[in-house]
Amino acid sequence: MRIRSLTLLMTALFLCASAFAHHGNSAYDEQARVPIKGTVTEFVWTNPHSQIYLDVKDKNGSIVHWSIETNSPGILTRAGWTRRSLKPGDEVTIILCPAKNGAPVAYIGSGDPGTKVIFSDGRELDFKDKTAQ
Amino acid sequence: MFSSLAMAQAPPFNAHDLSGVWQFAPGGGGQGPGDNFPPLTAWGKARYDANKPGYGPKAAPGGNDPILKCDPMGVPRLLFAIWPFEFIHIPGRILMFFEGQHTIREIWMDGRKLPEDPDPRWYGYSVGRWDGDTLVVETTGFNEKTWLGAQGQPHSDEMRTTERYRRVDRNTIDFKLTIDDPKTYTKTWEAEPRVIKARTGVEIPESFCVASEEEEFNRRIRAPAARQNGKE
Repeated sequence: MRIRSLTLLMTALFLCASAFAHHGNSAYDEQARVPIKGTVTEFVWTNPHSQIYLDVKDKNGSIVHWSIETNSPGILTRAGWTRRSLKPGDEVTIILCPAKNGAPVAYIGSGDPGTKVIFSDGRELDFKDKTAQ
Repeated sequence: MFSSLAMAQAPPFNAHDLSGVWQFAPGGGGQGPGDNFPPLTAWGKARYDANKPGYGPKAAPGGNDPILKCDPMGVPRLLFAIWPFEFIHIPGRILMFFEGQHTIREIWMDGRKLPEDPDPRWYGYSVGRWDGDTLVVETTGFNEKTWLGAQGQPHSDEMRTTERYRRVDRNTIDFKLTIDDPKTYTKTWEAEPRVIKARTGVEIPESFCVASEEEEFNRRIRAPAARQNGKE
């Protein structure tokens, strides 16, 4: 278990070194990029903050409910997402910026490059604007 | 040779027609006119001290940003937000249709003067004119409920703003903003110049900020993320 935590920490540190974090969103640690694996329970497609809810097994096997803030439907649409991009039951790994206070709450979005959703088949959803010229 | 060929092939544009979808490029003051504002008056300092933003030098989790309840962002703040907007020319007016909060702002272009004693509004009252190839927009009649940017910069109902939009090529507008608010700032504030880029092909979707939805978001995400030590 200790080794797994260390691996997670090192992954976060490595990703952090190459990440560009924007200035703001002060509730979240925007220097960190932490991978969290779980099962989607809900995807809320709402302006100005879409939301992903995820059930994650902790090290003791208990389920922890994660709540993840992301961009508006307008920004997500331009990044190639739709309201059907995530559905309950999807197994995903999310590279996220966790809340600084340790709560299972996090941010992913266009302000923090490197944050993204990775499906079990390897497909990815990121925040790069596909309409940019 | 190559550059003259490229210039010859560059698509034409009309400097007096800003029609289309645009977006502020990142940089400068971020989501606002900047952190480097003139010294505050005593009144301005009291307002600034009371504002608890989520961005900028005073950033802290939680806070009292008016937009957390979907209050109208107002101008100039909405200009600098992370969403595109559209310029729409109609007879006697130019409209700015913002994706952020799905809002329309009108700029009167029929030669009228600014009103003497306007009712205070979230977006003020705006008149525009062409100064050469620069669209100059003057606004007065603001209420005091909005912030100038996400960093919590205050303003009063005495504020007057002057925006300058100059289209320098098909895809680029140079933008300047002057803020005159002697009740809040001891000097005129010339904000950092910014660049606005064309967002050709982008459609502005329905994007209202709905208070009931934002309240639910606050309950499920914003509040737990801002609690001390992550506890109830």
